[in-house]
Amino acid sequence: MRKKRSSQSRLKKDVLEKSLCTGCGACVGLCPYQAVYKDRTVQLFDCDLPDGKCRAFCPRTPSDLPLLRESLFDASDATDEIGPVKEYWLTRAKDEGLRSRAQHGGTVTALLGLAMSEGWIDAAIVSGRLDGREPEGLLIDRAEELADYAQSRFWAAPTVAAFHRAPESGAGRLGIVATPCQAIALAKIRTAKIDGYRKGGSLSLVIGLFCGWTLALDRFQNLLEKYQLSASALTGMDIPAGKNVLELRTAGGSANVPMDEVDSCVREACRCCVDSTAEFADLSVGAARFGANPEEMRGWNQVIVRSGAGQKLVSLARQRGVLEFREAPPPALVELKNAAAEKKKKALVRIIAKSRSPKNLLYLNPDDPVVRKYLK
Amino acid sequence: MHMTKLLSPAKSKVLFLGNEAIARGALEAGVSVATGYPGTPSSEVIESLARVAQERNLYVEWSVNEKVALEVAAAASFAGLRSMAVMKQNGVNVASDFLLHLTASGTRGGIVLVSCEDPGALSSVNEGESRYFAGMLEMPLLEPADFQEAKDMTKWAFELSEAIGNVVMLRSVTRMSHASGNVVCGKFPAKTRKAAFEYGGPIMDSQTGPMISTPVVAKHLLRRQKLKAVCALFEKSPFNRYTGPARPDLLLITASACWLYAVEAVEMLGLQKRVGILKLGTTWPLPPRLVSGHLRKAGKILIVEEVMAFLEENVKVLAAGDPKLSGGKTFFGKYDGTLPFAGELNPDIVADALAKIFRMKRGSLPSSYLEEARKTAALLPPREQTFCAGCPHRASFWSIHNAIALDGREGFVCGDIGCYSMAALTPANGYWTMPTLHSMGSGTGLASGFAKLSPFGFQKPVLTVCGDSTFYHAVIPALINAQHNRADITFIVLDNQGTAMTGFQPHPGIEVNALKESVPAVDIASICRAIGARVALCDPFDLAATGAALTDFLAEKGSLKVLILRQACALSPEKKGKKTFEMKVDEDLCLGDACGCNRLCTRIFRCPALVWDRKKKKAAIDEVVCAGCGVCASICPRKAIIKMQKTVL
Repeated sequence: MRKKRSSQSRLKKDVLEKSLCTGCGACVGLCPYQAVYKDRTVQLFDCDLPDGKCRAFCPRTPSDLPLLRESLFDASDATDEIGPVKEYWLTRAKDEGLRSRAQHGGTVTALLGLAMSEGWIDAAIVSGRLDGREPEGLLIDRAEELADYAQSRFWAAPTVAAFHRAPESGAGRLGIVATPCQAIALAKIRTAKIDGYRKGGSLSLVIGLFCGWTLALDRFQNLLEKYQLSASALTGMDIPAGKNVLELRTAGGSANVPMDEVDSCVREACRCCVDSTAEFADLSVGAARFGANPEEMRGWNQVIVRSGAGQKLVSLARQRGVLEFREAPPPALVELKNAAAEKKKKALVRIIAKSRSPKNLLYLNPDDPVVRKYLK
Repeated sequence: MHMTKLLSPAKSKVLFLGNEAIARGALEAGVSVATGYPGTPSSEVIESLARVAQERNLYVEWSVNEKVALEVAAAASFAGLRSMAVMKQNGVNVASDFLLHLTASGTRGGIVLVSCEDPGALSSVNEGESRYFAGMLEMPLLEPADFQEAKDMTKWAFELSEAIGNVVMLRSVTRMSHASGNVVCGKFPAKTRKAAFEYGGPIMDSQTGPMISTPVVAKHLLRRQKLKAVCALFEKSPFNRYTGPARPDLLLITASACWLYAVEAVEMLGLQKRVGILKLGTTWPLPPRLVSGHLRKAGKILIVEEVMAFLEENVKVLAAGDPKLSGGKTFFGKYDGTLPFAGELNPDIVADALAKIFRMKRGSLPSSYLEEARKTAALLPPREQTFCAGCPHRASFWSIHNAIALDGREGFVCGDIGCYSMAALTPANGYWTMPTLHSMGSGTGLASGFAKLSPFGFQKPVLTVCGDSTFYHAVIPALINAQHNRADITFIVLDNQGTAMTGFQPHPGIEVNALKESVPAVDIASICRAIGARVALCDPFDLAATGAALTDFLAEKGSLKVLILRQACALSPEKKGKKTFEMKVDEDLCLGDACGCNRLCTRIFRCPALVWDRKKKKAAIDEVVCAGCGVCASICPRKAIIKMQKTVL
C-alpha cells in the first residue's frame, strides 16, 4: 500500500505554495511543527503524519461547504450572496465611551461583553492590540478588557491558533471574533468528527467580521516606510467610505494612503476568497456604508444575524439596551449583496487563473450550487 | 605518576604516546620555549610539555593561532634559545606566510616546526599535506617511523637546525602521534641557556646581524647553500636504513608510519627475500648518493607513502638527474595507480600493491572469519556522529533553525571549525542549516562575501557561526571586513568556554593559560562592539530568548549583528558528570504516538539521552546519557518532559 501523504506536505503544496494561506492560524497551535511569524504560516520541521488536524481545519483545503451550511444554519435563511440571513440590522453600542474607542459602532465588543457578563461564554479570543510586537490571538476573560482590543488591524492575526492553545478545561465556553476565513476554519472545527477531539464543542459564539482583504505585512511595512511610518506606531486604520484611501492613524496624526498603493500590498490569498461577510459565523458585523449618505452612517455597524445562537444574543442585546438598533434602509442589503457577489466572481476568476481550469477550483467545489452560480 | 612520566630518568624504558616521545625529545634537546595551537593529532605535545614546564624551566604557550605560535617560537630562536612550534597539518598553512620569511632570514637557536598530520582525515576536514612546504621553503624535513625515532629525531632536529641556522620541520601522522610504544630515554642537558638578541652585525651574518629576509636573492642563495650541508648530514643519517637482500626484485622506499605497514605487508606475503625496504627518516632534501645507490640495486621500485606523492616525485626527480642510473626502471606508486592518492594506508593496502606487482594472489580470509565478523558487528549499537547530550550547540542550532524558518527567506549558516562542524558533517545535527565548512575563520569571510551578492539577485539572509577559540584564531579580520564593507550578516559565537573539541585547552577568552597562570581574558563582546557591531548575549539553553534575539537580528537589515551564545561544553571539567537538572518524562502527560508532536523529541530534536520506550510507546530519558541541561523540557509541546532542580548536598 502506498503511504498516505502527510497532511503537512499537502498543506504545503496545496495551500502555502499556491499562496492560498490566509494566516488564520487554524493549522497552528495543534503541534510543534506549524508556526506563525509576522503574518506568515511557517512549517518548522517536517511531520509525516497523515490525517492531521492542521489540514482538516484549514479553510483553504477542500471543504464540504454545503454540509457545513446544513449543519450550522437553517436552510430557509440561505442566500447565495452573503450566506444565511435571519436578521439584518444597523447597530451600535449604547456605551458612548466604548464607541469612541471602537473601530465603528462597537457592536462586536458590546456583544462579546454581554455574552461574557451573562455567563454564555467564559472568555473571548480576539486579535491582539494593533501596536503589538506580533499579530496574535489573545484569550480575554475580563469583560472590561475587551475594549482595549476594539480596533481593527488590516493584516492577518492567527486568532484560531489562540483557540487551539486555549486550555481545554478552564475557559470552557469560548467566544471568538473571526474573519471570514477564520469563520470557515471554526465551522470545520465545530463540525469535526475526529477521534478524541472534542474541543469544537467549547466554541459557543463566533462573531464574524466583514472582510474584503488583508494586507501582506512585509509589503505593507515597505509601504509604511515610504510614509515614514512603522506598523508598531499605528493606533488605528480605516477605509473611510467614498474616499478611496486607507487612513492610517498614529499618536502624531494621520496619513491617507491612496488605495491603488494599498492594493499592491493585498495578500494574494485574499484575492481568491469568495466570502466577504463571514458566512459561517453566528452573526457577522461590518461597517455601515450602504444605502445612505456615508457620513450619516459613520459610527454604525451592519449586522447579519445567521444562527439561532446569534439571534438569541442580538435580541438579548436589544432587551438589555446594550446596542442601539436602526432599520437598515432597503437599498443597503441589496448593495451589500451586490458587493459580495462581485467579490465572489472576481475571486473565482483569480482561482481559475491559478488552477488553469474551471473544473479545478482549488479549495472550492465546482458542484457547490453557490459556487456554480458565480462561476458563470 | 602521569606528571613525571615525561621526566623519567635516562636509560629507562617508558611507554610513550608518539606525541609524548616528541615532547621528551625536545626536553632532551634542552627546549626552552614551546608553542602551539590545539589541533588533533598534535595537541598532546604542548599539553605534556606544559605539565613539566615548571620543573624543566620552560615557557609553554597555547598561542592564538599557528602563525603567532611560530613567531613566538622564532623569537626564542633569535635570542639563542631552543624552541618548537607544534600544530596540525593545516596549521602549517596558517603559519606559512611567516614561515616563508623565517626560512629566508634564518634562525639561531635550534627551532623545530612539528606538524602532526591526519591522513584519512580521522579528525580533520582536510587531508592537508605540509611536506610540500619543506620543498617549497627549502627547509629540512624529518619523518619518524617509530616511537624511539620520534624521540631521537626530535632531539636531533634541534641540533640540525642550529647547525644550518634554519628551521627544521618534523612531520608525524595520527598513527604515530596517537599510538604508543616503548622509548629508551636519554639525558637532559646539564646547562641552561640565557636569552640574548644581537642584531648589530653585518646584514648577511645570521648570528649577529638583523633577522630579515633581505637582501632577498642573497639570502635565498644562502638558504640553498645550507641545503648542501643538510644533504651531507642526511647521507650518513642513522634514520635512513635499508633492510633486505643485496639485489632485491623490488626496492620499496618508504617513510613515517608507512614503514610499519610496509614491513608487515612484506611479511604477510613472505617476500622478505625478494623485497628490500629503504626506510627514509630524512625525506627532504633526499640524500642523493644514498638513494641513488639503492635505486641501482633493483629494476622495480615501489614508493609507499600516504596522501600525496611527495616522496615518489622527489625520488623520480633524483633518478632522472642521475646519469649513472640507466633506464629501464619501473616505478610503482601513486602515479601509476598502484597506491591511492587519498586516504590512510594500512598493511592490507600495501600488501595488495605488492601482490599486484608480483602477480600474486592474496588468499582471502576464511568465510568463517567473515561470518564471525558480521555477527560481532551486529552486536554493536548503531551510533551516528552527533552532538553530546547536553551540548549547547544542539540548542543553538535548534534556535538558529527555527529563526531561519520563521524568517522565511531561506537563510543559511556558513560553518566553521569546531564541534559545531558536525552541523555540516551530519546535517540533521544542525537541523539542515549549515551548508558550508572550510578553514578556521572562513565561515565569517564567506558570509561577508555572500552578503555582498544582493546586486546580483542574491537575497537570502546570511548567518555564520564560530567557536570561542576560533573567534580569536582567525575570525576577527573577517569580522572587521564584514563591518567595514557593510555586510549584512548575523554572526553567532558558539561560546562554550574553551577549545572543547581538542580537549579544553585555554584560549585568550579564558583567565588561565597553558601554564595554569592567571592571565587577562580578552572579551569577545567588547571586541565586537569596538568593531562597531550590534552585540547581544544569550544563554542558548534559553530557547525563547535566543530565538527572539535571532529573529530580531534577521529582521534588522543592513548591518553586522553579533549574537554570543554562551554556555559551557557539557564535557568541560566544571560541568562533566554534574547535572543541573534531573530529567524525567511524565508518562501521563506524554501521549506517545497519540500526540500530534510526531515524536518531536526523539525524531527531530534527537538528543542522545532522549529515547523512545518501545514497550510503553512513550518518550523516556536515558539517565546514564542525560547531562541534565534541561533544554528538552522547553521543546515538548505537552510539557511532559519535566526538569527538577538537582538538590545540592
